[in-house]
Amino acid sequence: MWILKFLPDWFFYVLLFIGIFGLLISKFIPSYYKTAVQATCAFFVVFGVYMAGAISNNNEWIARVKELEAKIAQAEAESSKTNTEIVEKVVVKREYYKQKGNDVIQYIDREVVKYDNTCKIPPEFIEAHNKAAVK
Amino acid sequence: MKYLLIPLVCMSMIGCSTTVPVVSKFPEPPGKLVMEKCPQLNSLNIDAKLSDVSKTVTLNYTEYYTCAVKTDAWIEWYGKQKKIYEGVVK
Repeated sequence: MWILKFLPDWFFYVLLFIGIFGLLISKFIPSYYKTAVQATCAFFVVFGVYMAGAISNNNEWIARVKELEAKIAQAEAESSKTNTEIVEKVVVKREYYKQKGNDVIQYIDREVVKYDNTCKIPPEFIEAHNKAAVK
Repeated sequence: MKYLLIPLVCMSMIGCSTTVPVVSKFPEPPGKLVMEKCPQLNSLNIDAKLSDVSKTVTLNYTEYYTCAVKTDAWIEWYGKQKKIYEGVVK
């Protein structure tokens, strides 16, 4: 509530107290001022009660916001930790597959090259392979 | 009783504004590696020999598995982030 930003909480409790006190002592006030005092004090009481409720509601919301902020901070830290774990896995797996590919290529260079001259690759085979490889 | 109307009218004019200033950032991706697009697969030259074919096939398989690592990483990332997010919402 915007009014709570400009005035301290105690102001409304003082207002409420003045209202109650004023209503109690209004019996002893001369009748000329009695109505005005009672009206003012009634306003103070109603407004004070209303604002006390508003303060309580506002404080509850502030507490909820703080709780949610703490949860979000914890979630962000957890998310960051999870990301680090995933990155580590990605790096390890990538290296594994690259190494595996290099091993196979070394094997090809060592063993398969022996059959290069004995095995003729038909152009249809190459065409079929390239068609499948290109997006 | 009529005096009570004045503060009630005033209060109804004050109104309430409840804003929740809590902003949650979208989770970061799991590293730069997974942000790279999967490359085009290698094709063969028309005069390719058996060893060239074998190498190209091997390279393409390697590309596939490297790319699969990224996809798996995103799947894992989504599952874990969802779990974390649901923990906050509860």
